[in-house]
Amino acid sequence: MRAWRGMALSLLAMCLIVDARAQGTISNLPRKETLIVENPEGTIKNAGWFNIWAINAGGQSTGLHQLGMDTFWYIDPQKGIDGVWDNSLASDKPIYNADFTEMTVKLRKGIFWSDGVEFTADDVVYTIQTHMKTNGLRWSAPVQINVAEVTAPDANTVVFKLKKPNSRFHALFTVRWNAMWMMPKHIFEKAGDPLKFAFDPPVTLGAYTLNAYDPNGKWFIWQKRPDWQRTSVARFGEPGPKYVAYIDPGPPDKRVIAQLNHELDVIHDISPEGMFTIAKQAKSSHGWFKGFPYAHPDPTLPAVVFNHQLELFKNRDVRWALALLIDIKAVSMASYRGAATISAIGVPPTGSAPEVYHAPLEGWLAAFTIDTGKQKIKPYDPTIGSQIADMLRPSMKDQIPSAADEIAKSFGRGWWKPNPQAAAELLERAGFSKRGDKWFAPDGKPFAIKLMVEGEGRPVMTRAGSMIAQQWRQFGIDAATVVAQGNMVDRRQAGDYEAMITWSVETWGGHPDLSFFLDSWHSQFVAAPGKPQPPRNWQRWSSAELDKIIEQIRQTAFDDPKGLELGRDYVKLAVREMPTIPLMSYNVFTVMDDTYWTGYPNADGAPYTDPVPNWANTKYMMVKLKPRQ
Amino acid sequence: MSGYPAYLLTRLGQFALVVFIGINIAFIVTHATPIDPVEQSIAAATQFGSTSPEAIGLMRQSLKELYGLEGGLGDQYLAFWRRIAVGDFGPSLSAFPTPVATLIGRALPWTAGLLVVSTVLTWLLGNLLGGLAGYYRRNRALRFAGVLAMAFHPIPYYVVAFVLLIVFGYLWPVLPLGGGYQMNMPRTLSWAFIGSVLLHSILPVLSLALVGLGGWFMGMRSLVSNIVTEDYVVYAELAGVRRRRILGSYVMRNALVPQVTGLAMSLGAIFNGAIITEQVFGYPGIGTLLVSAVYAGDYSLVLGITTVSIVAVSLAVLVIDLAYPLLDARVRVH
Repeated sequence: MRAWRGMALSLLAMCLIVDARAQGTISNLPRKETLIVENPEGTIKNAGWFNIWAINAGGQSTGLHQLGMDTFWYIDPQKGIDGVWDNSLASDKPIYNADFTEMTVKLRKGIFWSDGVEFTADDVVYTIQTHMKTNGLRWSAPVQINVAEVTAPDANTVVFKLKKPNSRFHALFTVRWNAMWMMPKHIFEKAGDPLKFAFDPPVTLGAYTLNAYDPNGKWFIWQKRPDWQRTSVARFGEPGPKYVAYIDPGPPDKRVIAQLNHELDVIHDISPEGMFTIAKQAKSSHGWFKGFPYAHPDPTLPAVVFNHQLELFKNRDVRWALALLIDIKAVSMASYRGAATISAIGVPPTGSAPEVYHAPLEGWLAAFTIDTGKQKIKPYDPTIGSQIADMLRPSMKDQIPSAADEIAKSFGRGWWKPNPQAAAELLERAGFSKRGDKWFAPDGKPFAIKLMVEGEGRPVMTRAGSMIAQQWRQFGIDAATVVAQGNMVDRRQAGDYEAMITWSVETWGGHPDLSFFLDSWHSQFVAAPGKPQPPRNWQRWSSAELDKIIEQIRQTAFDDPKGLELGRDYVKLAVREMPTIPLMSYNVFTVMDDTYWTGYPNADGAPYTDPVPNWANTKYMMVKLKPRQ
Repeated sequence: MSGYPAYLLTRLGQFALVVFIGINIAFIVTHATPIDPVEQSIAAATQFGSTSPEAIGLMRQSLKELYGLEGGLGDQYLAFWRRIAVGDFGPSLSAFPTPVATLIGRALPWTAGLLVVSTVLTWLLGNLLGGLAGYYRRNRALRFAGVLAMAFHPIPYYVVAFVLLIVFGYLWPVLPLGGGYQMNMPRTLSWAFIGSVLLHSILPVLSLALVGLGGWFMGMRSLVSNIVTEDYVVYAELAGVRRRRILGSYVMRNALVPQVTGLAMSLGAIFNGAIITEQVFGYPGIGTLLVSAVYAGDYSLVLGITTVSIVAVSLAVLVIDLAYPLLDARVRVH
């Protein structure tokens, strides 16, 4: 008894004597001057490695690429701080020659590394030449494939001579999440093998420099450079936070607790349920949208991706039949609890896409007709987004917008009406047959689909997959989900799946050019069955018609309006062929706490960048943040 | 040769054989994983940014060369044993080119500190209370302690850990939510740092103790319950030996022998890490390292950690086996 009592008393005494809250979240730094952000990479096993040019050797979104790195250009996934395109280290847009075999870059003057050395064209030439002569660096392969020669006619001009025409070569140096970062020549030329150099402490081009880090990889603290005026972001003002800490806050439930305790200013992502809890309990916290659906729609398009190298999915009628069996409202509720932004077309409904693709194609979609052989149907229902809003209104009340354009922005526009009758007719035309309540494939075997999902690592998408499999099963297809867990990457690349929930469409977001993902969909890159498929055409779809569109895009300048027409041609082709079934944008529940900082980006009045903090584009967020206290 | 030296040599031989077989099994299992470290690295490098399909093939080839994966399984097996022979696990494939030993060396002290303290504390408390409860069977406080220990024992660890977090991290926020020490505190041998480490370890230790206590408690109570009916205990009681002495010198001492074996096994197993504890409390350690290595297909790192674990568990068993004949007079070596 005495021992038991002693243990209880000891615990109580420890709690009373040492109050953790009194100790504060951070030692030796003023909380009011520190922004604390979640790094979704979690614990960095090799914390002291800052050589970001070595593949997978250390952390990236520890603040290193957001606050320490810089390159020529940034494209914002949203509206941008001063337009979607920002000339960062470059002073102008890329200048190509007529046949896209040469690209000239004019560099911004007056930019300095954090150790006081001026950034010049020599750094660029060194970066490129190092990648040309070193195998195995992160950007060695694209540089070696593209660059014949790089020269610096003067300290502020770099000329790339390319091995073959490439109208999108600048994409290598244009940040969409990340891009090829510039190396400090004066550091790396003395470091020996660039693959084995840790770059600790890093010499930075960004407005921050490393202050401290945990050798066990739990946190990284960056400090505003005293000479922040000599960095590219200074054009937009002084960064607000003096210190920025990127931390591993642990599982989603702990992130919620940490923000409720005001110990975590920006949560990268949590479950929809966690978001709803914070929305109810914390007045100072908010997401991208002021109310429901809260989350930021990333320029990524989760979809049902078919393996086109399997006989089962080669027929367009089969793919369309499966699309017509999906009730997207149920999928939205099952996956995001309604907080999804749906898209019927093969472009994520975010950034500039709704204006450039979704809205202009509404009329075409409404008129789009499928002839099943027995009837002609118009499958597009433009009211599905509104129907989702109506479903949610009784429970979420005035958090659900009522204006049509707000509903479209939050929940998406239309989608395909479930039509089991038309689906059955399409399947029958494809040689499938129904016996009893089961469907059979043309070869007489039961029509079975294994739908691969990632599992607990990506619960929202897993729930979407479960709902879709259930809907197919109710129709008489022997459909079931298969959890790939840690094998998802390998199985996706090897084509070891029948259908899966993943994404093969990622766009720039703010800029409507689709080459970011579409170029990789050219049939020249489709691997033989069993061989690894390069990103992003996981569906291994080959289409001569698509190849023509891609080849035309390759010959069209990045900003040429003709590119938009070609983009819409792709969208129409993808609707007709249904190579994947687009579902919704990848909504990220980034939650921001106003207790210490204000000025975060949001959909309602400040869409100047994506708030999702592992994007390198969030460097622009720092100049908008102001201390609250 | 006979007697203890022969026993010693036999056990050492068995130890070497167990370690050899264990490491070989670990090698086979890790190399049979469908997760390819090269594809994981490519996925990590191309996950969000611009991707040129043409470049991927070249990147794949470069990484295979860099990671030394070009040879066949036989070559890799021989290279592995050549490195093991000199205590080198090679470079980690998911943190290339950092040596596996460096990564393990950074994480191991945290795991060892946390788990040695929690294991020993839980063992001491569990056995003490279990022994008392088995001997003083009518004591209501001890019976209540038994109910509590058994009540916590079957609760999933994750639930206990989160309840503690919610209670002491949110409702009554007196303890830190996670980490090994306060963010940005210099890692020096100062009172502030030591205090911070202790403070951050309270919840992880408490969670492990609450769940682990019941096993030791019930084991010891049932051992003591059997021993108290032995003739020599009854005789001692009849002879008027003080009950406290009977408990300490006659009952607990004999009951402790299997518990000491259990302790040694538990201490050996700490090198596996406490994966859920580390995940929930954000505590640094080898468990998180192991999980990330598995997901990344980093078989160098997985092999490094499992090798350390195999050696540690085998060594713990060896030490106990060698110590038994010396500690327990009932064990005889022929």
